[in-house]
Amino acid sequence: MRSHAAAVAWEFRRRHRWGLIAVACYLLALATFKLLSLERGQPITFDDEQTFAFAVIVPSATAFTYFLAVFSFGFAGDLAGRQSIYPARLFTLPVTSGALAGWPMLYGTAAVAILWLATRFLAVWPSDLDVPLIWPALLAAVFLAWTQALTWMPYALPGLRVIATVMMMILIDIVIFTAHDSKASEVVMLAILAPNIPLAYLVARFAVARARRGDVPDRRRIFARIGRIADLLSRRRDRFRSPAGAQAWFEWRRHGRSLPALVGILLPFELFLLFLFRDTPVLVFETLCAVLFTPPFMAVFVAATVSKPNLNGSDSYGVTPFIATRPLTSVSLVNAKLKVTIWSTLATWLLVIVTIPLALRIFGISPMVIEWTQKLVEAVGTPRAVVIVLLGFSALMASTWKQLVQSLYIGMCGRAWLVKGSVFLALSLLTLFVVIAQWVFENSGVIATLLDALPWILAALVCFKISAAAWVAMRLHDSRLLSDRTLVIGALCWNVAVFALFGLLVWLLPTVLFRSHFLALIAILAIPLARLSAAPLALSWNRHR
Amino acid sequence: MESVITVSELTRRFGARTALASVSLSVTRGAVHGLVGANGAGKTTLIKHILGLLRAQNGSVRVFGLDPVADPVGVLSRIGYLSEEKDLPGWMRVDELIRYSRAFYPAWDDVYAEELHQTFALDPTTKIGDLSRGQKAQAGLLIALAYRPELLVLDEPSSGLDPIVRRDILGAIIRTIASEGRTVLFSSHLLEEVEQVADHVTMIDQGRIAQSGPMEALKESYRCVTVRFAESRPRPPDVAGVLCWDGGEREWTAVVHGDLGELEGAVATWGGRIVAERAPSLDELFIAHVGAPADPAREA
Repeated sequence: MRSHAAAVAWEFRRRHRWGLIAVACYLLALATFKLLSLERGQPITFDDEQTFAFAVIVPSATAFTYFLAVFSFGFAGDLAGRQSIYPARLFTLPVTSGALAGWPMLYGTAAVAILWLATRFLAVWPSDLDVPLIWPALLAAVFLAWTQALTWMPYALPGLRVIATVMMMILIDIVIFTAHDSKASEVVMLAILAPNIPLAYLVARFAVARARRGDVPDRRRIFARIGRIADLLSRRRDRFRSPAGAQAWFEWRRHGRSLPALVGILLPFELFLLFLFRDTPVLVFETLCAVLFTPPFMAVFVAATVSKPNLNGSDSYGVTPFIATRPLTSVSLVNAKLKVTIWSTLATWLLVIVTIPLALRIFGISPMVIEWTQKLVEAVGTPRAVVIVLLGFSALMASTWKQLVQSLYIGMCGRAWLVKGSVFLALSLLTLFVVIAQWVFENSGVIATLLDALPWILAALVCFKISAAAWVAMRLHDSRLLSDRTLVIGALCWNVAVFALFGLLVWLLPTVLFRSHFLALIAILAIPLARLSAAPLALSWNRHR
Repeated sequence: MESVITVSELTRRFGARTALASVSLSVTRGAVHGLVGANGAGKTTLIKHILGLLRAQNGSVRVFGLDPVADPVGVLSRIGYLSEEKDLPGWMRVDELIRYSRAFYPAWDDVYAEELHQTFALDPTTKIGDLSRGQKAQAGLLIALAYRPELLVLDEPSSGLDPIVRRDILGAIIRTIASEGRTVLFSSHLLEEVEQVADHVTMIDQGRIAQSGPMEALKESYRCVTVRFAESRPRPPDVAGVLCWDGGEREWTAVVHGDLGELEGAVATWGGRIVAERAPSLDELFIAHVGAPADPAREA
């Protein structure tokens, strides 16, 4: 290895060789397709948007996301933690912080720019599309540079890294979309984007230097009071009543406060928008919706830390010996997590439910919201209006909790390949879903067919869910993790919840529009079962390897 | 004697590498059992099986007659464990760690815990993450000992620690065995420590048991013999029962198993004589069994 620059490049190449080979193969496939098209003398027309999206947009976006994770060291780091995700092992290399930040940034920005240029030249684009050449490459490089700079920065609070990075991405998007909509020329776009690279480099260099000297700010005490309220009772007690109580305290202290804290940070900014938009009812309504959807949305990010058994080792998904040697069953360890996610959800929603009326009152928007409520009462009657509001809140709360716990079984299994594979699969499915949804909405015939087939689709999903749950129940029984009695009680509770939801839906929704069997299928799918039940199995698999 | 730990024909593979190969071990109640071996020999893997953190691929592990994987609560509630990794949660304060740990053990002895707390002089308001490596070991030792476990398992407890903390750990082992019927299993590569406190020793080499038995019986069955030859010799004679030779020119030292008669005769044939004889140290025994390969000159 002749230089440290070559060593850094070698590490990227060596660690991610299969991913890089896959991207290269994809580009080769694009080139082959284009060459074949040219050789046959066929005109380059590619007006089928769906095929184009499947062949070009989805793979390119996936490759770009992959490069973001690779060059920001996102696969190895703890995104939710306060410490920099830049690998600490590189800090002891005899090179400057500028070089530590610079080389990965140079390789990363070059890789994403080349990815764009290759896609631009090798793909067969729709003929009516005027595809720009330079500025999208620079935009990709800017995205990557800022992702690196912001993810390498040590933060004062857990979770701030994700918020800061997402905010920056949104900001860049807004600026670029605004400029593009204003028909800005290529030169203007370049002028907007180009200064970002050196700026991001300076921030990255500062971040690496700070992380290198172990300077991690700590402002958790600001939010300690929120946590202390819940800790108060246990703190005053001289001892825990039971091992389960102690474990619940442990889980609460470890990650129970993350969701209320994250939502608490975002709420003031979101609610301030109510003040800005107070004269526009549509925007007030949309802002309120955004506020209400914040807890379930943030729960998606917090869930990654809740399910991770070992927060200390960012590279390790295994249970630490300290936890693994607690004289508790794996079921009790999972129960403590579930209990804490319920507390966390309740604490978050308490925060939301208290602050929204306060904000409405302070900004003088209460009359507007009261008027909407009166309209709802007039439309459906008081009992139904009350139930709709309560059901709406309950659904959002349940959704928040569900987001926190539904991936527990993945995180707790302790296998890095499974965790990373599931993230990749989820992102791929999401991309596929977006593309399919877009295609569906543009074809009224398909919508009609899908609506006709919806009960069958739901029935298939129910069959899959029940089969998975049955398999999990058998494994739980065979491994003696749960007694027969507990399994039966669990199944009964799930049935009661399904029937309760079904009854509520039948009462609330007109059966003319929604057939009762359709509502039954919805109720079955809505109440968590298989994935939740799999969590103790996953932990046991991890704990007793 | 009642067996607290019984390991039978335990085999464990990690991919193509065999970490443990048909290991059988029995630790009797009241014993202080030292587990010695080079780094990567399989000591921690064996301990993890005993704690139920690894599932036996072949063979069986029983602790107090129970399967530690099938009944983790039944086994772990009777074991005090100090991990090599010193993986206590860094965010906890010392007093919180004690309060948290106490909840799991009904037999937690507050007086004894306080006594250990005072001995180690740990500040209750300090976070575990802010403690030194030695203090972390002391905190770990405190929570492993305070409920007077029937079995104390220490995995490389002295690794990387200063002499004062090592003394505390040895003291803890001695205190534990002072209580009747309690058992200690500890792994270490500091053989003088093992020799100091262990009454049974098991040597592991590349996943296999190289030697196991009571310390005294083991040492009595071996002799460390110094031989002086009339003339300088490039290599000592090959004699049955000699585990290894060390030295050079006229004076060579051998670790010998069994009767010395054959060695005496062979040495005399080569014009030499035995000039000193003593019991070998555990260090010498360990090197003789699993140590560095023999001198290439002798192997040629």
